[in-house]
Amino acid sequence: MSAVAAIAFVELRRFLRDKSNLFFVFVFPLVLILLLGSQFGAGSGQAKVAIAGPGSALAQALTAELESAGIEVTATGADAAQADLSRGRTDVGLFLDDADARAYDAGEPAQLDVVMAPQSSGQAVLQQVRTAVQAVGLDRSQLAALTGAGVPDAQAGAALAQAAAQVAVPTVQVVDTDDVVQDFQGLGKFDLGASQQLLLFVFLSSLTGAATLIQARRFGVIGRVMSAPVSSGQVVAGQALGRFAIAFVQGGFIMVGTALLFGVDWGTLWLSALVLVLFCAVSAAAAMMVGAVMDNDTAASGVGVGGGLVLGGLGGCMVPPEFFPATLAAVSYATPHRWAYDALADIQRHGGTLADILPQLGVLAGMAAGLLLLGAWLLRRSLGRAL
Amino acid sequence: MEAVQVQTRDVLDVSGLVRRFGDLTAVDGVSFQIRAGETYGLLGPNGAGKTTIISMVAGLIPADEGTVRVAGRDMTPAETDAKRAIGLVPQELAIYPDLTARENLKFFGRLQGLAGKDLTRRTNEVLELIGLSDRAGDQTKKYSGGMKRRLNIGIGLLHRPTLLILDEPTVGVDPQSRNSILESVERLSVEGMAVLYTTHYMEEAERLCDRIAIIDEGRIQAEGTRDELITLTGGVDRINLRGGGSTARAADALRGLPAVQHVDNDGAGLMLTVSDGPTALAGIVTGAGAAGMSVTSVEIVRPDLESVFLHLTGKALRD
Repeated sequence: MSAVAAIAFVELRRFLRDKSNLFFVFVFPLVLILLLGSQFGAGSGQAKVAIAGPGSALAQALTAELESAGIEVTATGADAAQADLSRGRTDVGLFLDDADARAYDAGEPAQLDVVMAPQSSGQAVLQQVRTAVQAVGLDRSQLAALTGAGVPDAQAGAALAQAAAQVAVPTVQVVDTDDVVQDFQGLGKFDLGASQQLLLFVFLSSLTGAATLIQARRFGVIGRVMSAPVSSGQVVAGQALGRFAIAFVQGGFIMVGTALLFGVDWGTLWLSALVLVLFCAVSAAAAMMVGAVMDNDTAASGVGVGGGLVLGGLGGCMVPPEFFPATLAAVSYATPHRWAYDALADIQRHGGTLADILPQLGVLAGMAAGLLLLGAWLLRRSLGRAL
Repeated sequence: MEAVQVQTRDVLDVSGLVRRFGDLTAVDGVSFQIRAGETYGLLGPNGAGKTTIISMVAGLIPADEGTVRVAGRDMTPAETDAKRAIGLVPQELAIYPDLTARENLKFFGRLQGLAGKDLTRRTNEVLELIGLSDRAGDQTKKYSGGMKRRLNIGIGLLHRPTLLILDEPTVGVDPQSRNSILESVERLSVEGMAVLYTTHYMEEAERLCDRIAIIDEGRIQAEGTRDELITLTGGVDRINLRGGGSTARAADALRGLPAVQHVDNDGAGLMLTVSDGPTALAGIVTGAGAAGMSVTSVEIVRPDLESVFLHLTGKALRD
């Protein structure tokens, strides 16, 4: 193992050995992504409706009608339907009881209880449910009118089916034309939160990891390392690689973990990984600067958390930047987070290609190069303080 | 021919070393040589310039003037190859507290170019040598101060350096660990390693060092074996008077006695440099009493390195 790799490896090992880091690196991000996705995540793309109540002709008719409209229907109990609604597992709940079933069988009006989930897709699915209910009601009232006029049930049903085949049935297609909604088209429930938390935690972990660099200087280890047959350039390169390894372990874990646990779609994987690599390089360089400039590891951790949260918030890691006012949106481009966010959004939501995200990659590469040079210069200067 | 032989035997050759920090000249024209198997001591008080000399010898900081040659190679911060010959044991505990002893040793071993089975074997040997084999898997933050000191030294030995540099290795350790460290250094010298040892403890320098440089204010005041240095005092004795009362007046009075060469007043008593202490003792005690000092204890110390330092610099080593 070369001196550069040895220094980088020991930095990563020390970072991972810190028990508090283990929680904040491996547990906390996934918990946050789960919570955010459950509360605010977009639908998976297919509308879901839960029909609660006893099995009945009404339930069967509604199920058939909704399924014919491409909606996934689940027959369940009232409590389970409410739980699914509150957790965002279904978009709309239809609550039927015996009175509803009897009224339907008798061809009489029935009033159905409908509950919409809070997520953004609920409104559109509710509209589809209304259409389906109206269609089922119309069919039933037509049948009731024929049988009421003395037509036998079988003949009435056949006549209605024949009539239905001869006319073009109007269909309802719900299209949300809101720009913001269009921006989030194609996102799974946890996709947005995962990409936001990926960027937030990579930068946060890198900055807080700068404490190990300061400790190495404070413990006198840097001085001892410099007495070994190792050049100052190798020490700087080892520290830079160590910062990068910390960032990449954090980012890689979130990408793999969310894909496996929450089914997050990272789009074209090598492109997303490329964005991650460049963002890790920027984060590592920023960490080098913090570690080189500061001499107190506790204070550096505080600065890391504060700076990481502020930059993350500004860069769209807390509230999606699509909701930012124009001025704030412009300012957000001063952060690497915003460029990485845009690149990931393009890849995840619109199947963006390398050519599509080249501008973002270029800016990230420029930021990484500039900050790495500055960080390396500051770090080399700080070695003198260690001797 | 003979000159060439002497030169090749010098593991360390320091010549005219100068280092300035702003207006302060921390090291001022220091020269000395160390041969293989020799333990060379830099004895001086804190702030005398010992660590600055070591930093230049180890290639950590550049010298403003002068040269350092280690095993025949020029040593500067940029000369990484020359650093293979040295093992540095800094005064502070330069180890990672959150790594185990084995991990610390392996890390520094890799920096020295050790790898694979060689690294593993050498790590085990050093762990055995410093008596930490049983605790090799524990994080060093759980170690006692003495154990950390032993590991600190072990890291310096890992790659079998030609020159081992020990900068005050016993600072802050208990007497038992201190003795263990001193025994280790004695063994290394017997095995042929050259050792540069800095200390402000006179007893350590007397016990370990074949030759000693007495250093103060960045300069070597005298150099030689213990016996050679003692002769510099002219065979004077030291008399320590402890007690209360007017020690300042007593000091002034005693300076007038013919046998008294020097009087140092530390507030709690007087330290006198005198010729033929036993003969002069009665007059000194009487004189101190007459000047208003109530003497509670008297000690005659035959010449030692403390006396040499006092003789050369006019101040006590502990200052």
